[in-house]
Amino acid sequence: MRYWLIRLGSIALAIGGCLLLDMLVTGQVPGVNKVDDFGQRLVVLAGLYVTLAVSLNLINGITGQFSIGHAAFYQVGAYTTGFLAVTYFDRSGLPGPVWVIGMMLISAVAASIAGLVVGLPSLRLRGDYLAIVTLGFGEIIRILVQNSDKIGGSYGMTVRPKFQYIWLVWLLAITCIAVCRNLLKTAHGLPFLAVREDEIASSAMGVNVTRVKVTAFVLGSAFAGAAGALLAHFEAFISPSMFTMDVSFIILTMVVLGGTGSITGSAIAAVLLFYLPEKLRDMAPVSGAGLVAGVIGVLAAVAGIKWLISNYHGSRLNRGIFVVCSIVAGVVIQIVFSMVLRNVPALAATQFEAAKLRMVIFAATLIILMLVRPQGVFAHHEFSWSWVQRLLGRRAPTKEVAA
Amino acid sequence: MDLANLVAALDFSTLPQQLVNGILLGAIYALIALGYTRVYGVLRLINFAHGEVFMLGAYVSLFVSYAMGFGPGSTRDSTWINLVIMLLSSMLVCGIVGVLIELFAYRPMRSQARIASLITAIGVSLLLQYGGALILPNSPPPSINERVNPIQGTLEMSLVGPDAGLLKQADEAKIAFTQAEDRYKAQSALDPKAEQASTKGLRDEKNAADRTYNNLQRRLDNSGVRLRVPWGQVIILGTTIVLMLMLTYLVLYTSVGRAMRAVSHDFDSASLMGVNVNRIVTFTFLIGSMLAGAGAMMNATFIGTPLTTFYGLQPGVKAFVAAVLGGIGNIPGAVLGGLLMGVAETTVVWLGYSSYRDAIAFIILIVVLLFRPGGLMGSNKVEKV
Repeated sequence: MRYWLIRLGSIALAIGGCLLLDMLVTGQVPGVNKVDDFGQRLVVLAGLYVTLAVSLNLINGITGQFSIGHAAFYQVGAYTTGFLAVTYFDRSGLPGPVWVIGMMLISAVAASIAGLVVGLPSLRLRGDYLAIVTLGFGEIIRILVQNSDKIGGSYGMTVRPKFQYIWLVWLLAITCIAVCRNLLKTAHGLPFLAVREDEIASSAMGVNVTRVKVTAFVLGSAFAGAAGALLAHFEAFISPSMFTMDVSFIILTMVVLGGTGSITGSAIAAVLLFYLPEKLRDMAPVSGAGLVAGVIGVLAAVAGIKWLISNYHGSRLNRGIFVVCSIVAGVVIQIVFSMVLRNVPALAATQFEAAKLRMVIFAATLIILMLVRPQGVFAHHEFSWSWVQRLLGRRAPTKEVAA
Repeated sequence: MDLANLVAALDFSTLPQQLVNGILLGAIYALIALGYTRVYGVLRLINFAHGEVFMLGAYVSLFVSYAMGFGPGSTRDSTWINLVIMLLSSMLVCGIVGVLIELFAYRPMRSQARIASLITAIGVSLLLQYGGALILPNSPPPSINERVNPIQGTLEMSLVGPDAGLLKQADEAKIAFTQAEDRYKAQSALDPKAEQASTKGLRDEKNAADRTYNNLQRRLDNSGVRLRVPWGQVIILGTTIVLMLMLTYLVLYTSVGRAMRAVSHDFDSASLMGVNVNRIVTFTFLIGSMLAGAGAMMNATFIGTPLTTFYGLQPGVKAFVAAVLGGIGNIPGAVLGGLLMGVAETTVVWLGYSSYRDAIAFIILIVVLLFRPGGLMGSNKVEKV
């Protein structure tokens, strides 16, 4: 009885929370200003990226199958929905939310069939070879779509009814997180972890490796497909250029930076990595002097942290203080250099648009984070309050469940 | 469409030309693939930034050609020494860039999980693409002035001679045309004023003879099988072969090469046996990036594609596929894979599906990996517990 109360309660809480978020963002709550269209779009895309990152984490981090073609499943979902909406929506006469939820399910099925097709070769391949096959599969799907005139080809297609259900996007993200979490907490999830740790040993222990790998691919791609369905209805326009290799790389980066295998890590990294480039969009143009000084400052901070990690073995608190100190030192060095370099006419005259700097800063962040903390921010752990306490040097009050 | 129609629509007389084009394209892929394959063999790392090293090499050759006075619109005459300078400088800069990338981005990651170095490689690749776009000229995309290439002509070969009957008919048609023209000219010279009546018949006769002759000439052109290859592309192929032979010699018959093979066989044991592993890895990156630089210079100079900072993306991906196709870590495999990749691409174009030319690489790759996971010339290692 209590079990069911908790279950139903959390489901109600999730749906309620998503509806509240929707109302907050669209300005239906009195006293809260409406977020502009661009802001709404960011909230939706962040939710979609959380879904994508967490679902890729299921394949990549939890099951250890190295897939770098996740945008393909996203694309399959988006185009399934796009095609069906243009063809059948008017005839179906369904109300909006029912239609979109139905489309999410159908797209999830379509994407999971694609996932099955990719998952099957994964039985024979491992490591880098699997990575390349998934990458190639993503490219093949994109080129096929590009050459199908029926669905718009390379010009893209307009999806007619435009449904912008922010609550549905975040509900999907929460569902995805919940499914992964529950999987790991139950006996069904242990084989996934076993396959990641050692395939041969786990098959010797009676794990059906084939089934686990294919399940991971099917489940992960189904969520990506559902996210694609929402994207198609939200943007009302889809084109193959929205699903290039870069998108797959960005999703993969979110998973790896968050810490492969950490669900919360992937989700948080997805939100941060999505907002970072978007925030950089509105930055003022940077002069050459500022850019060079910034690069020098960042390099100094990284060198300090790198040195610290390899040479200093104090308590966590002291190490934390040193990390903060090197970052502060980096900032100081940056300010000093920018003042000095301002007198160099060639550097001060050149201006770089912030929009062009976006991807550069993104790439640099990626490299620096990997150099400083290669196992990802959360490594294999999940975010929890006991983890924060342990980080600060206190003993954890409760038992930690490692993912 | 049924198969018979499909086959009937094909023009078999252009097939040899397309195959040759494929081999020339494949030579470039092979040069890049050699770099991938060496690095993967030694470090087990997919060096995603290799395509960007290729891109930088193309830009270096562009700047060197500018510095030598072959800016856009220049009409100077060039000598082959200019080409050699461009080739060497491109190789040098690419080699240095490759070594620096290894030193700063990959070496600190070596003790970490392989996925971490892969992400770093993706990061370096993105950084070079977008960071390069800030500094390097890319809109409008510049291209190397073709005057810098002193060897302009085309190598022409006739594989199958033109049809003898057609040749005879064409000759006769030509004579008939010349005669008709002479008659017309003679008549109009005789009587320049009264052109309507007396010359009209002769003019029509001349035009009809001209049409017949042109028709026959066109059929004649299509009846033989000929190859036209610009000399520049012949140079690409020749240089590629020379570089590959040098690399093979280096790997198989020198002490550095033996150390390279030892490191790729077993990284840890090699270092225990006194091989300076770091130096070998640096050397591997140097060689691989220099080959990419050579390929980039030749591609940019002789084929003349406009340069952007994403210039290395497609060739890089295809060359990587070529390396996997041939069996990654294997030098002849990379060459074979590159050539197959080039031929497959031009064959797809010949079949009339030119929009799928980028997909074919991956389709071949997936098929090969499913049936021979180690690649065509790679060994199928059985994993031991």
